[in-house]
Amino acid sequence: MRETPIGTPIRRLDAISKASGTQMYLSDYRFDGMLYSRMVRSTVARGRIAAINMPPLPDGYYFITHKDIPEGGVNELYMIKKDYRCFAEGDVRYIGETIGLLVGPDRGVLLDLEQGIVIEYEEGVPSISIEEGLACKGGPFVGDRNLFCDFTIDKGNIDEVLAKAYRVVEDEINTGWQEHVHLETNAAVAEKEGDKFIINISCQCPFYVRKSVAGLMNRPFEDIIVRQTTTGGAFGGKEHFPDILAGPLLVAVNKIGKPIQLVFDRHEDGAFSVKRHPSRTRFKTALDKDGNILGMDIDVVYNAGAYESCSYVVLQRGVFHAAGVYTIPVTRVRGRAVATNTFPSDAFRGFGAPQTLFAIEVHMCHLANELGIDPLELKKRYFNKKGDITVTNGHINDTVVLSEMLQQVMEASGYAQKAATYKPGSGKGIGISFYNHGGAFTGNGEQMIIKAKAKLHRRADGIVAILVGSTEMGQGLQTALAKIVARVLDVDQDRVVYDNPDTSCVADSGPTVASRSTMIVGKLLERAALEMKERWEEPGEIITQAEYQHPEGYPWDQSTFQGDAYITYGWGVCAVEVEVDPLTREVITKGVWSSHDVGVPIDELVVKGQIHGGIIQSLGYAAMEKLENTAKKGFKQVGLSDYIIPTSMDFPAQTATLVHNPYPYGPFGAKGMGELVFNGASAAFIDAVSRAVDTEIRSIPIPPETLTELMKHGA
Amino acid sequence: MVETSYIPKDLEEALRLRKETGAKPIAGGTDLMVAHRRGTGVVPKFPWPVMIVSQLAVFKGIRLEDGEVSIGAGCTCHEIEVSELVPWPVRMAASLMGAQSLRNLATIGGNVCNASPKADLPVPLLMLDARLELASVSGIRQISLNDFLVGPKKTALRDDELLMRVIIPAVNPAFTYLWYRKIGTRRANAISKLSLCAAITIDTEGMVTDFRSASGAAGPRIARNRMVEEMLIGIPITDIEERLPAFLDAYDGILAPQAMPEYRRSSTRRMLEHFLRTAVTRPAHGIIE
Ligand SMILES: Cc1cc2nc3c(=O)[nH]c(=O)nc-3n(C[C@H](O)[C@H](O)[C@H](O)COP(=O)(O)OP(=O)(O)OC[C@H]3O[C@@H](n4cnc5c(N)ncnc54)[C@H](O)[C@@H]3O)c2cc1C
Repeated sequence: MRETPIGTPIRRLDAISKASGTQMYLSDYRFDGMLYSRMVRSTVARGRIAAINMPPLPDGYYFITHKDIPEGGVNELYMIKKDYRCFAEGDVRYIGETIGLLVGPDRGVLLDLEQGIVIEYEEGVPSISIEEGLACKGGPFVGDRNLFCDFTIDKGNIDEVLAKAYRVVEDEINTGWQEHVHLETNAAVAEKEGDKFIINISCQCPFYVRKSVAGLMNRPFEDIIVRQTTTGGAFGGKEHFPDILAGPLLVAVNKIGKPIQLVFDRHEDGAFSVKRHPSRTRFKTALDKDGNILGMDIDVVYNAGAYESCSYVVLQRGVFHAAGVYTIPVTRVRGRAVATNTFPSDAFRGFGAPQTLFAIEVHMCHLANELGIDPLELKKRYFNKKGDITVTNGHINDTVVLSEMLQQVMEASGYAQKAATYKPGSGKGIGISFYNHGGAFTGNGEQMIIKAKAKLHRRADGIVAILVGSTEMGQGLQTALAKIVARVLDVDQDRVVYDNPDTSCVADSGPTVASRSTMIVGKLLERAALEMKERWEEPGEIITQAEYQHPEGYPWDQSTFQGDAYITYGWGVCAVEVEVDPLTREVITKGVWSSHDVGVPIDELVVKGQIHGGIIQSLGYAAMEKLENTAKKGFKQVGLSDYIIPTSMDFPAQTATLVHNPYPYGPFGAKGMGELVFNGASAAFIDAVSRAVDTEIRSIPIPPETLTELMKHGA
Repeated sequence: MVETSYIPKDLEEALRLRKETGAKPIAGGTDLMVAHRRGTGVVPKFPWPVMIVSQLAVFKGIRLEDGEVSIGAGCTCHEIEVSELVPWPVRMAASLMGAQSLRNLATIGGNVCNASPKADLPVPLLMLDARLELASVSGIRQISLNDFLVGPKKTALRDDELLMRVIIPAVNPAFTYLWYRKIGTRRANAISKLSLCAAITIDTEGMVTDFRSASGAAGPRIARNRMVEEMLIGIPITDIEERLPAFLDAYDGILAPQAMPEYRRSSTRRMLEHFLRTAVTRPAHGIIE
């Protein structure tokens, strides 16, 4: 029997290589005869390609386009949808769309060639914003309404409730684009080995890459081998986006036969990569004469950009989280993903939940203002409890301990006293937010789509290797999974190894997304390890495997979106205190306090790392990460001196606590938490700033110039 | 496209190269190398020959000469930040530029010659009536910083000249109160959204004998106007309040921000108002926050 709890921190598996700088990343690798490549991209947001005028290509240089896709291959990248093209063909739909790939031995020559290419367009009229997309500016280019999807979920009859309400409060909340800014930019090297293709790539989901590009070659998945290279951050930006690099590289390698590298510069990575979906959420909330909430009619629109990719799924998560942590008696949530001529929006930590969670939190504050009560008082009345009916008419299955978490945050932050003494408009404010995040894939996705497997191998040398497709990207997954396995097997930590996955060697444990890896893959490994432990005395090698089993009793209908959208949620409470500089309107954050329910932390240090980072990222989202998009130039803030992410100087040290609330189906009681920690600090920050300046804020981010405008018009 | 680069061994060679080839100096390179970068694995390409001058000792050194502070064009922001000879607002501005690694490389010469409207050091330097010493094979001349900064990214530097040093004249009597504030896009490693440097001198009778203020990032050029400053000079400090509205309007008139006009104008107003109103209360400490 061990006495140390599972959460007691161990040294991370990747600590030494990363801290000492010896860790190799993709751009550090050299392959024999390796060529470089450079993308040639659309410079207009919408139009037809009339002509591509190429400068003469020196010997050994190539320009690869859709014409180089071999016989039988199709010009598409198979993500969740198949609509994303590998190369533009005929028309272009956004600034930055891949038109071709220049390949050759010298990067300087490639750059000169790129600058020498003249592409003539017949330009169309693009739509950039949600409003323009909905209005089909320039004519629709997806269906007849520019909508990738449009669906509604009802709990009760909202029309009746609105009709008989004492009053109806309307509101609209907007959020902007956000760039991932993973430290390592997107990068890949493709090569040929025998008759197989190898893609070495910085990515979250090696099996996604394989699936996405195989159709280009008209080959079975197995003919494409994807090897994840140590990934320096991802945040969702390397979920589907690596396909955009892998596709053209594969076509080029097929034609040229040599290893080819494609590494984005920081500037390219900012200007020409996927972003978080901008959102517009409208509320019609019915109140009775005592100020009770009778129902909410919520209309959610996400700007999906030019291709659907995973937007439908992102939107589902947004819609299912639209009532936040509150049980509202009657709800209707409509979701639409609108097509615009912008770089496709895609996965980003939280995957659609942060936008609607931000919206409901801000809206609840506005309702409280209407009712003349402290937002906390209003929010507390509607906290989810075990057994409550969700917006999809499923149940909250967790024992929800928000009150206990709130208590922790109240004590640490001094919320009650500060909220009472900082008068509205005094320049000082404290705000508080509540949030959750559904663990793993939405609905029955784990069971119907992912069907994860995990494999353990006790090698001849006695070392146990974890063989799964799940990836380390800085979040600490190697450490968490290896810890689970070592703990079950009761062996020393250094007897368990977990290398970057190679799709030809490991089990497909599903993508490293949706906060699912510790909770789902960790559980599979726990089971594989238990079996291995039983067989431990066998001589020689042992291989054990486990496959996902869906717990009984959590119904879900994917065609109607009815039932338990998630079996469990992670939960969070965050308080933020600010002071607004009376002269410059700069917002100085004085304190950040949070409490999270992650079930049981597998490693407290890893979990705290996620909390600190996620909260800073969320505060940056609300405070400073302004990203504009223009029809002529695309994204405006693309370098790190223009796209402003916070530094360690911008926010103070945080106080973060955890509650112990074991999840029965997770390894050692753990559940997902990587995205949860992004989902709430932005709303607490905005609550605090709104109180400090006594002005309602309906849109983020709010750099001081925006706040100044708001205060002027609010006054 | 010329791709020549030189590393002169002394000033004489540097000036000769400058005259004969038109080579542009690279000091810290934090503006030039960034502006002409061509991505990972590709060397920057310049449309003119360049020469590296950061190794030349003649551009170094901070000295007091006849009561004036002389700062070599090659002095880094870090050297300026830690020098006790340098007036406070210049040290402050230097200390808030970039991050430590940037401050170890970036030079005052580069900051001044780059002539960005968002550059930080020219703001206090302009307020302090700094002069520049320029050298060429034909000799040495001095020019006021005000005349040197012609427009955005435009200076009066001649094609054969190098900036040798920045000279800050003594201020006598010393300023009674000083203000410097940089509003960056964030708290470190940030380009200025706006900056303001201001100073006031009040004599024993309570008369304002000098007042100056300069604004960065509030127009195509660092803004300063002596006529507007004179609205507050020669009056009793107690009359400031009464003169304030007219003065603030006049100062607003010298700002010409293209982006975020409301923010830049109103913040400048609030900062000046705060500085002057605080000065009226005659606090003991000379630096107003
Ligand atoms: C990350 C980062 C952060 C930054 N933050 C700030 C900031 O906060 N505030 C700010 O003001 N700037 C900032 N900058 C801009 C830049 O660092 C400064 O302008 C710096 O002072 C330039 O100095 P340098 O020596 O590097 O100039 P260089 O790049 O070497 O030169 C700049 C220009 O000056 C000319 N020049 C240099 N020396 C001489 C000389 N002796 N005679 C004639 N001409 C000369 C060069 O030919 C060139 O035209 C930042 C830059 C970066 C990359």
